[in-house]
Formats: sequence, structure tokens, C-alpha cells
Amino acid sequence: MAKIKGYPEALEAKLRDRYMYGDDAHPEFTDSVEKISMTIPHMCYQCGTCTASCPSAPRSSYRIRKFVRRVVLGLETEALTDPDLWLCTTCYSCTDRCPRDIAPTDVIMAMRNLAFKRDIIPVNFLKTVQAIYTTGHGVPNNDVNRAARVKLGMDADPPTTHTYKEFIPGIQKILDYYKLKANADRIVKEREG
Amino acid sequence: MAERKTKKETAPKKETTAAVKKQAPKKAAIGEQPEAKKEARVGVFICHCGTNIAGSMDINAVQEYSKSIPNVAYVDNYKYMCSMPGQAVIDKAIKDNKLTGVVVAACSPRLHEPTFRTATKEGGLNPFKFEMANIREQNSWVHMHDPEGATDKAKDAIRIAVAKASLLEDLFPKSVPVERAAMVVGAGVAGMQAALDLANAGIKTYLVEKTPTIGGRMSQLDKTFPTLDCSQCILTPKMVDVGRSENIELMTYCDVESVEGYIGNFDVTIRKKARGVLTPKEAEARGIVGGGCNGCGDCEAVCPVVQPNTFEEGMKPRKAIYIQHPQVVPLIYTIDKESCIKCDLCVKICGDEKRAIDLNQEDEFVKVKVGTAILATGYDIFPIENKTEWGYKRYENVITSLEFERLICASGPTGGHMVRPSDGVAPKKVAFLLCAGSRDNTGIGKPYCSRFCCMYSLKHAHQLIEKMPGCQPYIFYMDIRSFGKMYEEFYYRIQDEGAKFIRGRVSNILEDPATKNLMVYADDTLLDRPMKLEVDLVVLAAAVQPAADTNRTRKLFGVSCSMDGWLLEAHPKLNPCGTTTAGVFLAGACQGPKDIPDTVASAEGAASAASIPIHTGHVELEPYFAQCIEEKCAGCGMCVNLCPYTALALVEKDGRKVMQVTEAKCKGCGTCGGFCPGGAIWMNHFATPQIVAQIDAFLLGGEQ
Repeated sequence: MAKIKGYPEALEAKLRDRYMYGDDAHPEFTDSVEKISMTIPHMCYQCGTCTASCPSAPRSSYRIRKFVRRVVLGLETEALTDPDLWLCTTCYSCTDRCPRDIAPTDVIMAMRNLAFKRDIIPVNFLKTVQAIYTTGHGVPNNDVNRAARVKLGMDADPPTTHTYKEFIPGIQKILDYYKLKANADRIVKEREG
Repeated sequence: MAERKTKKETAPKKETTAAVKKQAPKKAAIGEQPEAKKEARVGVFICHCGTNIAGSMDINAVQEYSKSIPNVAYVDNYKYMCSMPGQAVIDKAIKDNKLTGVVVAACSPRLHEPTFRTATKEGGLNPFKFEMANIREQNSWVHMHDPEGATDKAKDAIRIAVAKASLLEDLFPKSVPVERAAMVVGAGVAGMQAALDLANAGIKTYLVEKTPTIGGRMSQLDKTFPTLDCSQCILTPKMVDVGRSENIELMTYCDVESVEGYIGNFDVTIRKKARGVLTPKEAEARGIVGGGCNGCGDCEAVCPVVQPNTFEEGMKPRKAIYIQHPQVVPLIYTIDKESCIKCDLCVKICGDEKRAIDLNQEDEFVKVKVGTAILATGYDIFPIENKTEWGYKRYENVITSLEFERLICASGPTGGHMVRPSDGVAPKKVAFLLCAGSRDNTGIGKPYCSRFCCMYSLKHAHQLIEKMPGCQPYIFYMDIRSFGKMYEEFYYRIQDEGAKFIRGRVSNILEDPATKNLMVYADDTLLDRPMKLEVDLVVLAAAVQPAADTNRTRKLFGVSCSMDGWLLEAHPKLNPCGTTTAGVFLAGACQGPKDIPDTVASAEGAASAASIPIHTGHVELEPYFAQCIEEKCAGCGMCVNLCPYTALALVEKDGRKVMQVTEAKCKGCGTCGGFCPGGAIWMNHFATPQIVAQIDAFLLGGEQ
């Protein structure tokens, strides 16, 4: 019995209803993505230039073409709950090359915003928020880095909030205004206890 | 390869043609050539065609070999034989070496036979003393990776060509006068445009149309892509021009009954189907001055018989006496003889003054003589109900695009209110199925692309969005083929307007019996997810096929068709309007699916081509016709029925029957010559001794 652990569940998942129905489509989702992204995903003709340009695609199951297609069809839940949404590196290669002059990266960013409203966000992104709140940096300086800087003849800390800590309250004020920190703390607590 | 090598060793040494000459029955009866022929001196010219030929074979080896072929007096090669310097080589060699025949080993005769004939003529020989050896299309191109084999094959081809060139005779093309009139069959937009062009060029043109009005398919359309102008608005001025043109004799409700003759002199019999209604002209001919139909419509009002109107795709009623729509040209009513009950009500209301209606009118036959003819017989919609999975004719709310055109058209059965057939309610979700029956290799549909469905379906989606806010069109497609000028831009526009494009062919449709809504099953191949979409209306962009009567008409004019029934052009790229029958041309969709711009362009091309022989006044025919050796002809007449061009006849001569060839009609196909049991038919340029010499040259490798 122990040997088939996980298989019935996987089979169940495979055999679920995969039809796309007419009422799966939410045109208002398409509209809000267009509004937030300020670009035109509805003009996508699915050529695949974006996925072919994407540095994430060959290393993961992330397919930006499919995300844009979901936007066009208004498949809100399918798009926002897909963990692949967070695999975009925001390198903007697809935006550079899109022949219909759409900005697919901005479409992804818009969907991340909409997902966050539903508390859908990986914890590492929230930890980044917390790091910015406390240090002013998404990736704060560390000892290895400091040693390397000194070796190269630079100051141990860069001339940012690491050196000028008095500016950190200003950053915190902005994040508080958008309740970013409070939400991040809340969600991290819910997930990690 | 082994076989090839052995053949290579059996190089030609002996005189072969001399022996052939001896056994060849000289056609003394035809008597054009003297028996004692001077020694044949053939020049062989080998073309490199850049590297096209030279890259795949050893030209020097071919040249050396050619020198050893009997009767060869001169051999040369050149990089491009067809170039001016190349032709000059031939010209000079003929004069310097007193050549009697020329062989050019190069490309296909379809490409450069005329070029080298001219060069032969320049050199002072009869142009028909030239023979081509194809060492490119049938050799270097297909044996690119076998240079040795290609070299051997080129040697064979040249040896065979020399054998024929040694026996070729002087021939002289015939010139026939051309009647200063033309005929156009079919009065859709293609036929109308062709007729107008011919008429404007000063040529008397008979425009024959089987239905009661001109206008064709285009008059059924609401709007045209990508400009969105109203189809009728741009078409009716042309219809009026056709009706008014002095040079156009409009023959509506007429069929071509028979065609005799050949380019320059076609005798065409037209069946004027009994309309049951007299035109003012016809009335006058019967002594009813000031009578005939004036299109008032009183008859229609009293007629008690109701029939479906075919112009409205059966979605609107018409009477047994009818016009198809208000803009018909000519405005003359027609009686549907099948459904008329001869109640005489129309005759009475028409009155004694007009006396336009004759219920007992009979079909008449009219003979006209024309120099050239254009076929513009158009297309029909494929019977899409044969693809049962989409339920056309089974589900009320599955319609064809032509029905959609009528439903969205302001002059259509609903006055332009788009409603679905089952309940007359405006649809909210409409699915368009592209490639419905096109690109289908099942044998039920058509294997080809119908070419204009993508574009009109985009237009339909636009019309829905424009006329009915909130209505969502879904376009199920495999590829969007927006190939024309401003077409891709139109596609962009429709996508921007909000049409949803789903890349996937609809597998089947099911109907909800209660709501009459339709479940459309497809695979969104871009998302890799099957789809089940409930819609109110489905529009099938059905495949098109040649119009119903095309096959009968084409046979009358001796025009071939391709496998799928579309009429066959003389060359798909370089002679798209011509046919293999001289003097017969093609315009519009009868040659293959075409949108309106392509149809009109093709019609203007056909009109231009058809006017050339008429303006020239005469045509020169290839002298490749059959000739009867009357001494040998037994008068059996078996060849007469075999001839596909009706060029042969039996005639009385010196008290006995012999066959006679109408040279202008003969295409030199050789059917009769090959069949004749008495060997009494001489095929010019393909005569039995010439062909025997070629076979010998091949089989014997030059040996006896």
C-alpha cells in the first residue's frame, strides 16, 4: 500500500474535468489587467516570441504565452492561482521583441498585483517586503559581501540606507501607506505561524 | 548504375538514320517533300544554364560524345544558350556549317522552344527544323547527386533529339481570320467586368447568364472586406453600365447549348429559356407596340403561388412570377414554370396594352458567331450538411455565411435585423467556424483552401460588434489567412474590436433541444485545453466548389478541369487566364476560389487576353495538325469520333469517302494518328518515321 502513495491523488487530478466552459470567462478580468498593465494583451496572436525569448521558460514550466492567452479568455482563477506567475524575472526580453507591441512583462506584473489582492503570493516575495521595511534593501548587505567590498577598496556598506539609516523611516512610511508591510506580516504569520 | 555503364559502352558508331530513312514510308501522297533528301547536317548546342546543368554533369564528355553521333556536323556549348550571345552562336554555326537541323540541349521546350526556333530562323532555316533535348528539368535537376548518370542520360537525350532533327521537315503556320465579337459566359462580377472591358475596347460582346438577372454572388453580399463598402452599392453601377452598353448584348435566362468551331470562329448556339414574360423588344417583334414588361410588379401581387426565394437563400418567399431583388438588370419578370399553375391572373392584370405575359412561351435557340470566349461561371457553396458533425439543416441555429450575409443585409429577409432562425431573437454569442469543409481530406469536404472565408468571417464579426453591442463573436480557426492588401490590418482591427479568436477546429456541435442553443466542442490548441462553449448561433464558413453547371459548360468549350473541378488554366503562373483551348479564357472563381479584387483583376486579364486575337484580326496556329494520306484512307471514319477537338470529318472525294482535317481545330494530339489502322494519318512534326527514329536511337544506342 505504501508503494502507491501519491498515485491515486495524481490520477484523480489527471481525471478531473478540464473543459473550458463559456462561463469560465470573465471579461472584467481582461479589462482590469489591461487597465493596470497599460498594454494590449487582447491583440496577442500567440506567435510565441515571448516564450522563446524568456530565460525562465527553458528552466521551468513558466509559459508567458499561455498567461497572455488566459488574460484574453478571461480565465482569472486559472491565471492567478498558477504558481508559475511568480517565475518571471522581469527581464523584459519579451517586451522588446513582441511583434504586436504588447508588453507581456507588464501583463504579468498586473496579474501579480491582482493575485496579491487575493493573498496569493509566495512567501519569499513577502520576506523581500519585510527586508525592505527593515533595511531599505530587498537583498540586504551581509558579511561576505562586506568583506568583498573592503577587499576591492570600497566602503563596507554602499551609500544607501545601509550608510544613511535616517532615511529608513521614509521608506517605511511609503510601505505603511499601502499596508504592504502589515499585509506581508499577516500572510507570513498565517503561513508560518 | 551497372546498367547505365553497359549502355555507355554501346556507343553509337554506325549510320542509324539512313536505315530508318529507308524503312520510313515517305508521305509522297502529301507530297510536300521530295524523296531524295539532302544529307542531314545537325548542329548540337549544349547549355550550361549557369550551374543548373553544368553543376550536375560533365559537359565536355557530353560534347565529345555528341561529335560521334551520326549526322552531327557541329557541336558547341555555352554558359547560357538562351542569352543573345548564345543565340548568336546558333545563328553563326548554321551559316558557317550549312546545317540542316538544330538541337539545343537545355531546359524544357515549354520554356525556351520559341526562343531557339527564332534563333534557327535567324540562321536561315525553317524554324521547325529545331528539336530540343531537355537535360535540365528531366535530368540535371532530378539527378543532382548522380553526375555520372546525368551525363549518360544527357547523351541519350541528345542522340534521340538528333535522330529526330535529321528527319524534320519545313512547316508553315496557318493563319485564320478572327470574328470581331466575343462571348462571356456568366454575368457575375467577373463576367460583367470582362464584358465591360471588351465592350469598351470596341468589341461586340454577348454576355450569357443562366439566371434571370446579372450580378451573381456579389449582389448577395452585404458588405465587402476590408473596405466595408456596401456590395450592392459598388456593384449596381456596373450592372447598369452592362445593361446600357451598346456593345454588350445581354442574354439573361440563357444557357449555352452547343459550341462549334475554333479560335476566331466559334459558332455558339444559345438556348433562350422561356421566360414567360416578353421584353419590350420581344413584344414589339410580335406587333405589340409599346408593350412588354416594364417591371411594374402588378403580376407579382396577384400571383397565388408562393415559393422560396433562392436569392435570399430560401429565407424569403417569392411568387411564381418574380424578380429576385429590386435591383435586377434587366428589370423583366420571370415565370417559374415548375410552380406556375397557369391561373391566368397575371395575364389579366398585365392587361391588353402591355400584353407582356405569355404562359405558353417556348425555349428558343439563337446562333451567334464569336472570335473568342471567356468562361466566368463562378462558384457555389459546398453542401455543408454533408459534414454531419456540425448539424447544418438539423439544427435551426446553424447557418451558412451566405445566409448570414442575407440576414445582416438591410435589403434582406429581416431588413438587416440579425436574428437567429429558431426564435427570431438577436443572438448574444455567435460562433464562426472557419475551414468548414475546406482543407478536408476525408473525401466529403474539399482539400483546398476556399481562400476568402477568413476575411469575410472577420467582416461578419465586425458587423455583429458594430450592429449589436454586447454580442460576442467567437472565431474558431486553424490559420487566419489575411494575405491581401490591407487584409492583415483588417484582421488587427477586428481583433482590437473584441472578436475572440480560438485556434482550434470545431469537432462537433450539439443542440440543447429546449433552448435551441448550441454546444460547440473544440480544443483551444494555444492553451492546450478542450473547450465546450454554449452559443446562440453558429455560422459555418462553408467551402466553395465550382458552380453547378460548370462541368457541362467546360465540356462544350473543350476546357479541362483540375481534380477538384475548377477549370484548368494554361499555366498557373504565366498564363492564368488562358486555357489549353485556343481562344477560350477564364475569369474569376471558375478557375479557383477568388475574392472580389482577385476576381476583377482576373476578369480584366481575361478580357485583355480575349481581345488580342480580335484586335490582331487573325491568329497563327502551330502547324502540328494531322493530315490525311488520302490514298491510304479507307474512309472507315473511326478516327472521327476519337478526336477530342471535333476536328475530323468524313467527306466525299472522287466518289469515295475520305477523312478531312479542319486544321485550325486540330491540336496535333496524335490520337487519330496513333489509332488509324491503315496508317493513313500523318502527324506533322510527330510523324511516324520521326518517332521510330527516336525510338531506335534510344533502344539501339545508335547501333543497328
